[in-house]
Amino acid sequence: MNEKVISEKNSQGLHDAANAALLLAIFVGVWQVVFMLGIWPQISLPSPVMVAESFVKIISNFSLPEGIGITLGRLVSAFAISIVLGTLIGLAMIRFRGFGKTLNSFSAGLLSFPSIAWVPFSILLIGFNEFGILFVVIMSSIFSVMISTYSSIRNIPPIYLDAAKNMGAKGFALFRYVTLPAATPSLIIGLRQGWSFAWHAIIGAEILMSIVGLGHILSVGREFLDMGEVIASMITIFAIGLIVDRFLLNKIEEKIRRKWGLDHHR
Amino acid sequence: MTKLQAKNIVKHFDHNGNSVLALDGITLDVQEGDFVCIVGPSGCGKSTFLNIVAGLEKPDSGDVLLNGNSISTPGPDRTMVFQEGALFPWLKVIDNVEFGLKMAGIPKDERRQISQRYLDMMQLTKFADSYTYQLSTGMKQRVAIARALAMDPEILLMDEPFAALDSQTRDLLLVELQLIWERTKKTIIFVTHNISESVILGNRVVVFKNRPSKIKKEIVIDYRRPRLMEDENLQKYYHQIVEELKSEVIAQIKDENQ
Repeated sequence: MNEKVISEKNSQGLHDAANAALLLAIFVGVWQVVFMLGIWPQISLPSPVMVAESFVKIISNFSLPEGIGITLGRLVSAFAISIVLGTLIGLAMIRFRGFGKTLNSFSAGLLSFPSIAWVPFSILLIGFNEFGILFVVIMSSIFSVMISTYSSIRNIPPIYLDAAKNMGAKGFALFRYVTLPAATPSLIIGLRQGWSFAWHAIIGAEILMSIVGLGHILSVGREFLDMGEVIASMITIFAIGLIVDRFLLNKIEEKIRRKWGLDHHR
Repeated sequence: MTKLQAKNIVKHFDHNGNSVLALDGITLDVQEGDFVCIVGPSGCGKSTFLNIVAGLEKPDSGDVLLNGNSISTPGPDRTMVFQEGALFPWLKVIDNVEFGLKMAGIPKDERRQISQRYLDMMQLTKFADSYTYQLSTGMKQRVAIARALAMDPEILLMDEPFAALDSQTRDLLLVELQLIWERTKKTIIFVTHNISESVILGNRVVVFKNRPSKIKKEIVIDYRRPRLMEDENLQKYYHQIVEELKSEVIAQIKDENQ
């Protein structure tokens, strides 16, 4: 990549950031105007400044940082379990064809199953505790990991495998050096989807199950009629979702796509 | 010395639930250092035959012997150059060339040495660290040839490797491949539907019949190298093969219209 391209890319980035800031400013402006029109009482719709004050409050009493820490910690451990188990089941689906085909025929139902619908089941089976939440998050994300492992490997062009076998690759080396890298671009998309399902699930489960965390701050805000706190938590949830996707998952995917030349002909 | 023997290879394949006879007893001996081209109408099973020799497909009956030993699985002693190159997009050019050596457990330094040598031979030295999407189709096929040669195979199998190339690039590679063959003394089986290619490359041109495939005719081309596309002395061989193939193509069209 030459310097001109890099500087063009940077100025494109600046341009995008300026547009985003403008959109946010318009949003806050409209919000302020609606607030000043007085359609809703202050308790139902606080002003941007009041929400900022709520932010300061829940940051300084540590409930927000604590909530973020607990929720993200929980999310990472549950998602890690999803990746490990989902990948193993996906590989088993490849290994045992009939099993894979049958399980895959349920994939649409499994993938579209709303994560919140796992909550009552989890409460009755496991209870209002840490494991209950983990269960909901795992069940919500494991199927996208599983199905994407299965379909990514199944959709590898056979010619890569033929070429590899032709050069003497077999067994684990074939898997490690050909199957896995050949499936990677598609696997990453599945992981991204799984992450997004897990994120939906954890906030929902924390709200419904009233267990300490980011979602819980939302439901506490509702119970105390503190709309400022509710909106501040919503903004936090939005920001975390955005940051993780843009600066982590998207970056990984872009890097792989660039290396593969998948964006080359656009 | 006989390098490769195919004995009475029979292969059916499944077509819309019907079993179709693709290869009806192919018997072929290839001598060490020979350059054999296989031509035939498209879909006649010549690629299937090559896949069987490579061990990527199993024959229903018959036997393939390499240096007198029966083979049934793929192996680096019979490396293949595929039509689409089949390079790995997640690896750099040099790592593509080294792939088979790595699978063979050859240490890294030695791998580098070998792959450099073949990259030099294919005039790819400058592109060692490129990824495959950065290469033209012709360069990709050069990498594929380097990758196959790096394994130092007993026999090199080429499945229409130049079919996707523009004609200038192909003419260039046709000359290069002859030079490489003379230099490395490799035994080569080259499958193509392009008659000119087979005349330029082959010591022997084996003409496959339309499905069910048998060997219809074998033409020996004893002519100096490197042969060029525009060499008029090659015309008589060309026409001889065209004659053999004409009836086959007509038969194929009839087949398809049924």
